[in-house]
Amino acid sequence: MNLRSELQKLLNVCFLFASAYMFWQGLAIATNSASPIVVVLSGSMEPAFQRGDILFLWNRNTLNQVGDIVVYEVEGKQIPIVHRVLRQHNDHADKQYLLTKGDNNAGNDISLYANKKIYLNKSKEIVGTVKGYFPQLGYITIWISENQYAKFALLGILGLSALLGGE
Amino acid sequence: MFSFVQRFQNVSNHAFSLGIVMVVFIMASSYYQLVNNSAFSLPSDIDNVKTLINVRTSRYFGSQRGKPKENMKIKFDLNTDLTPLFNWNTKQVFVYLTAEYSSSGKIASEVTFWDKIIKSKENAVIKVNDLRSKYSIWDIEDTKFDNKDLVFKLHWNIQPWVGLLTYGETVGNHTLTVEDKEKI
Repeated sequence: MNLRSELQKLLNVCFLFASAYMFWQGLAIATNSASPIVVVLSGSMEPAFQRGDILFLWNRNTLNQVGDIVVYEVEGKQIPIVHRVLRQHNDHADKQYLLTKGDNNAGNDISLYANKKIYLNKSKEIVGTVKGYFPQLGYITIWISENQYAKFALLGILGLSALLGGE
Repeated sequence: MFSFVQRFQNVSNHAFSLGIVMVVFIMASSYYQLVNNSAFSLPSDIDNVKTLINVRTSRYFGSQRGKPKENMKIKFDLNTDLTPLFNWNTKQVFVYLTAEYSSSGKIASEVTFWDKIIKSKENAVIKVNDLRSKYSIWDIEDTKFDNKDLVFKLHWNIQPWVGLLTYGETVGNHTLTVEDKEKI
């Protein structure tokens, strides 16, 4: 065990994290969305999307169409919501108001909007429009964030592999 | 040479590239099937549209500060066959009936009156008479719907098992001018 090889390993780990971060930020710039890939957390869009499904977003469009599935963030709430556009009203320029609804919900989303508003503002509140779909793989992140032992298990596996992975 | 980490990395890299190839193949083949079945120009027959007007004063029906707002529902006949939208990458089809119209100002709108989730090919033929729309529609700008020209369209969205979401609309629009009740 010499210092040079240990430092080399550390450098490799740094490289891994840096490239993952670069990839994420590059994707955010390309799609113009703060979180270009999201994991579905609720069942309000079932049966189209289930908990744990991965969605790929795009946010370079200035207007949304009725029927688009959008991700929006409500002021003061942390969790982004994935719902379908039910109505759109636009002024032929870049100002657009949307009303959304979850396929699996009985009513529209007015009760979810902040400050007693009855529409979403496309340019301010929409994080992105769902373009691509991959089933179930995101369940890993839900499992890690919701299970207190999962984090320790993950750290354990990483540590163990570092020990076993000698040369 | 072959450490645990390296083996894991090789396996996951291989699985990742194989996954991408499979997804691309599935997407291309299902798109080819859609084009082959002329899914992007399916006919639909929207007819016998009647409007039902109601005045509401709740915020959940578009009213601001308790001012009365006209809400509209419709009754309609619909006849269409969406069977060609189903192939091996179709998880569900979301079909929705919308109307496009312009307000008195410069705002253009499209609103959903009715929608349905179709999960299997057997239920893809829609034939309904005098069906009442699901949603109560108000305009963002105007209090009333008098003299507005509505263009009804039937759209669809395919939710895939994996890959890109596909959107389209059927051929067969229906236009209707809402009556001015004061003249009657």
